[in-house]
Amino acid sequence: MKVKSDKANGKSGIYIHIPFCRQKCLYCDFCSFPVASAESIASYVSALVDEIERNAEKYRRRAVDTVYFGGGTPTLLTPKQFEAILTSLGGVFDISHDSEITVECNPATANEQYFAELRSLGINRVSIGVQSANQNELSALGRIHSFGDAVKTVEDAKKAGFSNVSADIMFGIPEQTEESFLFTLESICKLDIPHISAYGLKIESGTPFAKNHKSLVLPDEDSEYNMYETAVKLLSQHGIERYEISNFAKKGYASRHNLKYWQYYDYIGFGVSAHSFVDGIRYSNSRDIKAYVNGLDIRDSFERIDNRAAENEYVMLGMRLSDGIDTTLFEKRFGESFNSKFGPALSPFVKSGHVIFENGICRFSNTGFYVSNYILSSILDM
Amino acid sequence: MQVSERMKHIRNFSIIAHIDHGKSTLADRILEATQTVSKRDMEEQLLDNMDLERERGITIKARAVKLNYRATNGEDYVFNLIDTPGHVDFNYEVSRSLNACDGALLVIDATQGIEAQTLANAYLAVDANLEVVPVINKIDLPSADVDRVRNEVEEIIGIPAQDCPAVSAKSGLNIESVLEKIITDVPSPVGDESAPLKALIFDSYYDSYLGVVVNIRVIDGEVKAGDKILLMSNGTTYEVVEVGTMEPFGLCKGECLRAGEVGYITASIKSVGDTRVGDTVTLAQNPTKEALPGFKAVKPMVYAGIYPADGARYGDLRDALDKLQLNDAALSFEPETSIALGFGFRCGFLGLLHMEVIEERLEREFNLDLITTAPSVIYEIKLKNGEVKMIDNPSNFPQPDTIEIASEPLVKANIITPTEFVGGLMDLCQDRRGEFVDMKYIDTTRVELHYRLPLNEIIYDFFNALKSRSRGYASLDYEIIGYFPSKLIKLDFLLNGEQVDALSFIVHEEKAYARARRITEKLKENIPRQLFEVPIQAAIGTKVIARETVKAMRKDVLAKCYGGDITRKKKLLEKQKEGKKKMRQLGSVQVSPEAFMAVLRLDDES
Repeated sequence: MKVKSDKANGKSGIYIHIPFCRQKCLYCDFCSFPVASAESIASYVSALVDEIERNAEKYRRRAVDTVYFGGGTPTLLTPKQFEAILTSLGGVFDISHDSEITVECNPATANEQYFAELRSLGINRVSIGVQSANQNELSALGRIHSFGDAVKTVEDAKKAGFSNVSADIMFGIPEQTEESFLFTLESICKLDIPHISAYGLKIESGTPFAKNHKSLVLPDEDSEYNMYETAVKLLSQHGIERYEISNFAKKGYASRHNLKYWQYYDYIGFGVSAHSFVDGIRYSNSRDIKAYVNGLDIRDSFERIDNRAAENEYVMLGMRLSDGIDTTLFEKRFGESFNSKFGPALSPFVKSGHVIFENGICRFSNTGFYVSNYILSSILDM
Repeated sequence: MQVSERMKHIRNFSIIAHIDHGKSTLADRILEATQTVSKRDMEEQLLDNMDLERERGITIKARAVKLNYRATNGEDYVFNLIDTPGHVDFNYEVSRSLNACDGALLVIDATQGIEAQTLANAYLAVDANLEVVPVINKIDLPSADVDRVRNEVEEIIGIPAQDCPAVSAKSGLNIESVLEKIITDVPSPVGDESAPLKALIFDSYYDSYLGVVVNIRVIDGEVKAGDKILLMSNGTTYEVVEVGTMEPFGLCKGECLRAGEVGYITASIKSVGDTRVGDTVTLAQNPTKEALPGFKAVKPMVYAGIYPADGARYGDLRDALDKLQLNDAALSFEPETSIALGFGFRCGFLGLLHMEVIEERLEREFNLDLITTAPSVIYEIKLKNGEVKMIDNPSNFPQPDTIEIASEPLVKANIITPTEFVGGLMDLCQDRRGEFVDMKYIDTTRVELHYRLPLNEIIYDFFNALKSRSRGYASLDYEIIGYFPSKLIKLDFLLNGEQVDALSFIVHEEKAYARARRITEKLKENIPRQLFEVPIQAAIGTKVIARETVKAMRKDVLAKCYGGDITRKKKLLEKQKEGKKKMRQLGSVQVSPEAFMAVLRLDDES
C-alpha cells in the first residue's frame, strides 16, 4: 500500500544545503568544506539553480510554505546568490506568500546590513549557531567565534528587523559543567529571542572528536541529564516551551520547517548531501561536491517507504513532539489502529510513567523524553 | 607367553612429555623419517588433526598410526605410534593408551628440564610397566643444557639417560638415533597367539559411514571380520564387520589382527559410549578368563550449565552436543532450565580444559553463541535424614538446616617451580585453602611442592594464577584423592530483589564475603543502566552480605537530527533494537550475554 500523502494538512518544505564553512568544527560530520574561493561558491550556487530547474517537470508547481537554508554556513553566500536561488525556486514551486524562509548563520559571518538585504528578499527567520557562552568551550569545539560575536550577530539580525530568531546551543560538550551550561542558558535568555535549539553532543565517527575521544573531558551521564533538565525548566520560565525533544519556542515561533520532519510531511532537498522525502520515497544526494558542481545527479541513498516502515517512522518522529501522536490522525492516515499496533509494546512504559497515553494522545512524559531512544527502539517494529 | 618372529618385529610405543616440550613435532619427524609420510604431504603435526589441537599445541584425543621402518640392521619393523592426550584432565585416557604400549619415549625440553607433567607421565608409564626411553629435545636452542637434563632424568626419575638420544625435532637433527633406540630399547610385544582373544580398547570414535571405529591393542589371540565379540565391562556383543590398521592417511582394511598388533575394528556400534576406553574385547563364544585390569568408567569432574545465547537455538545446541558425544564418551549432558537463561543443558566434563574444548567446538563447528555458567565440582551432601546427595548444580543445594555434612573433592597437587617463586606459589595455595604436604628440592634451582587443594579452587583459574605468579615457569599436575568435609554454603545473587538462579554458586564459607563483593561489583560494572534503579544483592539464605546499585538510565542521545536525515536516526534505533534482541531478561533486568559472561569469568588474580 502506498503511503497516503497528507497534502490537505501540510504543504511541502524545501531544504537547501550550503556546504561551506570558514573552518570545520571538531565535532562536525555534516557535509561541509572549508571555503576555498568566491568562485567555488559561485559555481556551487549555479549548480544548485541547475538542480532546481532540472526538476521543474517533476514538481510542477508543488505547493511549498517553508524554505530552509542549512549548512555549513549559508551566510557565506552573497544576498545576490540567495536571490538567484529563491528566484529559481519561485519558478518551479508555488511558494506561498506567508512562507517561513530560514537562513542558518554562524556568528561573525553577517552584519546588520547583510541581514537587511536578506530580509528584503523575503527571508524572515535566522538560526544562529551560538553553541556556548563560554570561550573555553567554544575553543574546545573548534568554533572560530567568541560569544561576543554571537551576541552582536543576534543584535544585528534584530536591528535588521528579524523578529523570528533562533539560537543553537549544545550540552555535553568538552570542559562543560552544570554551572557553565547554566551560564550559557542565562546568557542566551538575555538575548530575548523566541526560539532555542539545545542539542546534546554526539561523537560521530570520522570527526577529530572521535579520534581523540579518550582525551576529551566530557560531562558524565548524570550531569548531562541535569543540564537538559535545567534547560527545560529555565527556558520555560522565560516562556520558551519545549515543543520537540531538542527544540524550544515561544508561542507561535515553533520552526514550521522542522515540524515538517516530525509531522511527516514531504520535504525536498537540493544541494550536496541534501535529504528528501517525497511521495513516500526517501533519498539523499551524494556528498561528492565535485560531481555535483559538474551537474551529475548522484544518490547516496534511495528508499521506498512501505506502509509498515511509514508507521514506524511516523511514530519515531511524532513522539519527538511534546504534543505527541494524535492516534485519530494515525488511524486516518494508515487505516490501522495505533493502539492495537503499538499499545502492547508501550504498556510497560506507560506503567513506568515514561509514556502518557490518554484522550487519544500518546506522548512522552518529561522523564520519558530523556530516554526516548531506548523506548522507541523497544516499541518500534523494525 | 611366547614371542613369534612376527612379534619380534613390532614395536608399540607412545610419546609422552610435558606440554610444549615437543611431543607432536617429534611424532611428525618420526613419520617423515620412516617415510610413511613424505615431507611434501606433511601438514604440521599430522597426528593432531583437530583444528583446536593444532592451535593449542596439545593433543586432546589419543590416536595411533602404523609406520614401517627398515632399520640399519637391514630388517623391517612395524612401529605403532600411539599418541596420548597431554593434559591432566585426560589422565585416565593417558594411562589406558600407555597400557596399549610396550615402551614410551619421554620427551624432555633441553632448555626446561623436568616439569610436573614430565614426572606425572613418567610415573604413569612406569606404572604401566613400560620401558621408558628419554629423548632430550630442542638441543638446537642456545639455552639447551643437555648434560644437566641427563643428570636430572637419572636423579629424579631414576632411569639411565647418559646415552639417550639428544635431538632437535624441529630441525630433524639425530632423529635416526631415536628410531634405532626404539628397536633396541622398546621391547617387542609378548602374547599368546593361540589363546582366546584379549584386546584393550584405548580409543574409539564415531564415523558416519562405519559407525564406531574402535582402536585396540591385541594382547592374546586374534580377531577378524565375522567374529562375535564381547565387551567385557558391559556384556554387550557385536559382530565384527571390518578389521584393519591405522595408516597415516586413513584406515587400511586387513585380514585379521593378531597378538601384539594395534589396529581397529568396526562392528556396527552406534555410540562411543558403548566402547569405553580401557574395556577388554574378547570373543563371545570363547572368552578370555579375565578382563584386563584398570578399567574404570570415566566420570565428569566439573559441571556447568551451557545455554544458547539465542534461546531459539536450543534445538541446535542439543543436536551439536549429541554429535560431540558420539565421539566423546566423557562428555555428559542433560537438559536443565534456568529462570534467567531459559532452556539449556547441564554438562559434565573431565576438567576445565575439556570444558573449554567443548565450548570452543560448539561455537566454531556448530556456530553457536553460548552462555556458560560458572563451573562447579560435584559436592557430596549428607543430609540429617541420612540421605546422601551428589550436587552438581548449585540450584539443587539443600537448605542449610537440613545438611549434616557437606564434603568437597580434594586433589593432591604437585607443583614444580624455580625456587624464586616458591613464596608466591605457597601464598597462592594458602589463599586457595591448600594444605601443605611437603616440599622437595629437585636440584639447587628447582623445587617440587605438594599440596592438598580443593578441586573447586583449582577450577577457578588456578592454572593461570600459577603461571602469572611464576612468570610461566611453574608446572602443575594433580589427581583427585577423594571427598572431605568442608564448610560449604550457597551464595545467591538478586537483581532488583529477584534471585538470578544462573549466578548462584557453592563456595567455602571463608571465601563467601570476598567473592560476593567481587561479583556484585562486576555485576554493577556490566549491567547497563536500566529505566529504573537496580539493586544488586549477594545473599546466603536470606542474609544479604554484599550490595551494589546500578543507577537508573538518565538520558540517551539527544543529538541533532539534521536536515531531515531520518535514515540515520532510524539506523541508530535499529542498531539499538538489535542489541536489545540479544539481551537476556534476568527478572526485570536486561543484561547482554557478554555482560553475563564477564561476570562469570572469575579471574581471581585481578
